Amino acid sequence: MLNIVEIHKTYQIGPTEIKVLRGITLTVEKGEMLAIIGPSGSGKSTLMNMIGLLEQPTSGSYFIEGKKISYDNDRELSKIRNQKIGFVFQSYHLLPRLTAMDNVGIPLVYRDMKEKEIKERAKEYLKKVEVEDRAQHKPNELSGGQQQRVAIARALIGDPALVLADEPTGALDSRTGQEIMSLFKRLNEEEDITIIIITHDPKIALQCKRKVELKDGVIVG
Amino acid sequence: MIIKANIKEALRSLLTGKQRTILALIGIVIGIASVIGMISIGTIVQHEALRQFEDMGVDILTVRKEFDEKNKAAKFKLSDILELKNYSPIILEVAPYISSGTTFSYGGKTMYIDMMGVTESFFDLNKLNLQGGRFISDLDEHRFFCVIGSEIAQFLRKAGFENPLGQQFASGERIYTIVGILKAISEGGGIRPGNINMSVITHITTAVRVQEGEIESFMARVGPQSPSQIKAEIQNYFSKKAKGLNLKLRTAEELIAQMEKQMQLFTLLLGAIGSISLIVGGIGVMNVMLISVAERRKEIGIRRALGAQRFDIQSQFIMESVVLCLVGGFIGIGLGIVISYVFSYFVKWEFMMSKSAIMLGVGVATAVGVFFGFYPSRSAARLDPIAALRS
Repeated sequence: MLNIVEIHKTYQIGPTEIKVLRGITLTVEKGEMLAIIGPSGSGKSTLMNMIGLLEQPTSGSYFIEGKKISYDNDRELSKIRNQKIGFVFQSYHLLPRLTAMDNVGIPLVYRDMKEKEIKERAKEYLKKVEVEDRAQHKPNELSGGQQQRVAIARALIGDPALVLADEPTGALDSRTGQEIMSLFKRLNEEEDITIIIITHDPKIALQCKRKVELKDGVIVG
Repeated sequence: MIIKANIKEALRSLLTGKQRTILALIGIVIGIASVIGMISIGTIVQHEALRQFEDMGVDILTVRKEFDEKNKAAKFKLSDILELKNYSPIILEVAPYISSGTTFSYGGKTMYIDMMGVTESFFDLNKLNLQGGRFISDLDEHRFFCVIGSEIAQFLRKAGFENPLGQQFASGERIYTIVGILKAISEGGGIRPGNINMSVITHITTAVRVQEGEIESFMARVGPQSPSQIKAEIQNYFSKKAKGLNLKLRTAEELIAQMEKQMQLFTLLLGAIGSISLIVGGIGVMNVMLISVAERRKEIGIRRALGAQRFDIQSQFIMESVVLCLVGGFIGIGLGIVISYVFSYFVKWEFMMSKSAIMLGVGVATAVGVFFGFYPSRSAARLDPIAALRS
C-alpha cells in the first residue's frame, strides 16, 4: 500500500552537507501497525515528513496505493495529504480558536463538503474517540489526553489510507499515553486502519505489530 | 463550503486582534468616506444645476460692462438698454439693475444689505413673488418707494414691526416708504443678481441718483437663437451706442458650467484625500495581514498538513483582508453620507445619495482588500509546511 524506495535526504547548510536519510526502502501493507523507532538524530522525524508528503526527498521514489508521487504539483500533493494521510502530532496541533468539532472537520473543509455534513461526520468521529461530550469546547478547555483524542478524530475523519502519528504519547503522562495507545490498537484491530507511529520509546514500539529501527539515516532492524 | 468557512475564519481572526483591526480600519474608513462624499456631492451639484435650469429657464442671460482702462468714458445708458428690445427681435425683455452693499441698522442690530435699483421687468425676469404689497413699477421713477427682501422683512418683524408694509425709514438724507415685501427665494447662486432676500429695491432711476453710480449690468430674456448670435447682436448694438464698451455675457449654461468647475476643485481635493488615505489604509491592512500571517504560521502548517492547497491558504488570507476592508468600507460609506449631508445642509441644496456611489464604495473596499491582501496571503501560501509547523 505504501512503498518508499531508496529515499535519500540531504540538507545543505552552508558548505556542509548533512545526509539525514541514506537510502530508506520501506513497504507498509494495509492494516499494519508499525513503529518507527530510533534515537534523536536518527532521521525518524525527517522520515515521517517524507511519508507525510510534507517534504520532498533529495532522491528516491514514493508510491501510495500503487500510485507514484510527483513532487512538483502542489494541488496533487495537498489532495493526497488530505485524502490518504491522517496526521497525529506530538503537541496535538489543534487550532486554538476553533471548537473540537470544527477542528475535527478541517480536512473535510478542504474537500469542499457542506457544513452540515461536516458537522455530522465530526460528531461521529468524536464519538469514536470517546470525546463527543467535548464537541463544543475549545482546545484550551480540554486535557492533553482529550486534545490528542480530538487530533486522532481529525486524522481519521477523512478516511485515510494511513494514520501517521509522530510521538503521539510524547506530551502525555504514562497512563493517558497508554489510553491513547489502546485507542490506536483498537482502531487498528477493529477497523483495519493502517497506523505508523514514530517514537523513541521502546515500550510504545513493543505494542506495535511491527518495528522498524532507524539509526544514522538507515534502517538497521 | 470552503468560502463560507473562510469568511467565518476571517471574522474570528479579526475579532481576536480587535485593537489592531480598528487602527488599520481608520485609513480605509477615511478613504471610502472621501470617495462617497466626492461622488454624492457631485450628484448634489448636478442636481442643483438642473434645478436652477428649471427654476430660471435657459433663456436668461446677464450682460456686464467689462472694466477697460482705455475706454473709461464708455458707459451703459439706461435709455440704450431699454431701447435694446425694440432694436432686436432676439431680445425679448431687458432688466437693467444697479446694486451696492450697505449696512442697515435698527434697534442696535446691524445687517448687511444690498441697495438695488431695478425696473418693473426685473420682477418677471427673476421669477419673484410677493408676500404683500406691490413691486416697483416704472411709474416709480425718481421716487423713494422701496420693496424689501424676505430677510429684511423678518429683521423688521423681530424689531417690532408686525407689518412692515407702509413703514418709512431714513437712509442718508432720504426717507423711503416700503410698498412691497418679496417672498423668499432659494439661495445658492444662480443667475439672479446679488442676494435678493437681503435687498432693499428701488426704481433704478432713484438708485442711480442716490448712489451716484453707473449701471454696470442688465439681464435679458432672449430668443432660442445660438449664444454667439445673441452675443453678436448685443455687441453690434452697443458698438453703435457706446463706442469702446466692452461687454461680457453670462448665460445660464455658462453659469452652471462655472459652478460645476468650482465643484470640480472640491471633488478633486476629496478625490486626492480619498486616494491617499486608501493607499495609507491599504498599507495598514497589509501590515495587519503580515502580522496575522506571522502569528499564524503554525496554523498554516497544520492546515497544509491536513490537505490545504497553497490556493486555499491564499484565499483564506485574501478573504480576511477583504472582510477587513469591507468593514471599513461600510463605516466609510456611512461617514461619506454624513459628510455630503452636512455639505448639502450648509450650502442649502437638496441632499441626494446615489446608489452607484455606495456600490462603488463597496467595490473600492473590496479591491483594496484584494490588492493589499495579495502579498501577505501569497507569502502565507508559500510557507514551507515543515518550517511553519515547527514555529
